[in-house]
Amino acid sequence: MKNNIRVERAIKNITQAELAELIGVSRQTINTIESNRYVPSTILALKIARVFGKPLEEVFILEEGD
Amino acid sequence: MKTRFLFPYWCKYLGIVCFVVHIPVVLFQKQLGFDFSEASKAAGFWGSYHLFYMVTTLLMLTGLVLFAFSKEKIEDEQIAQLRMDSLQWAVYLSYILLIISLALTTNKTDAKDIMHLNVWVPLVIFIVLFRWKMFRNSRYTKEDAI
Repeated sequence: MKNNIRVERAIKNITQAELAELIGVSRQTINTIESNRYVPSTILALKIARVFGKPLEEVFILEEGD
Repeated sequence: MKTRFLFPYWCKYLGIVCFVVHIPVVLFQKQLGFDFSEASKAAGFWGSYHLFYMVTTLLMLTGLVLFAFSKEKIEDEQIAQLRMDSLQWAVYLSYILLIISLALTTNKTDAKDIMHLNVWVPLVIFIVLFRWKMFRNSRYTKEDAI
């Protein structure tokens, strides 16, 4: 699974730390999700999508083989 | 996802204090007046022998448990997963160590010492693994900082 969090953050002009604070997780967690080292739970993914005001599928994208 | 059954964040510091306090008691046991004679062993709960055991082994164990299982400053699902992974590996590693060391031991006293060590070895392995994973995580984040 890949994600567009970095791009969406750039569009919204917020840092990893600000996004982390908005959804109540640590900055490290946002970083590991962005760099595809951690797959978030559905709840966390929905919270991230809500911050960007986009549907979940526009932020997280399934890849071949998932 | 909320992590349940963890001590509050401040318990981490209480754990460190408990662990640190037990060290001088072990080092200066004679000066502090602890007596390990047969009479004191027979004295039961309030005997010097049992009191020494209470303020060293139990204080150390309480310290390690509090330090190992207290919440992080910001607790989230990824930290909970790291904790679970570390705990699983700590149990595997400590049992592998235990099995190998017991297999290579022919002496009963040594086997008893190994079992004594196993009181705190799994906890220490868990703490080291978990702290290492947390450190690696924050190092990646710093390298990746924008």
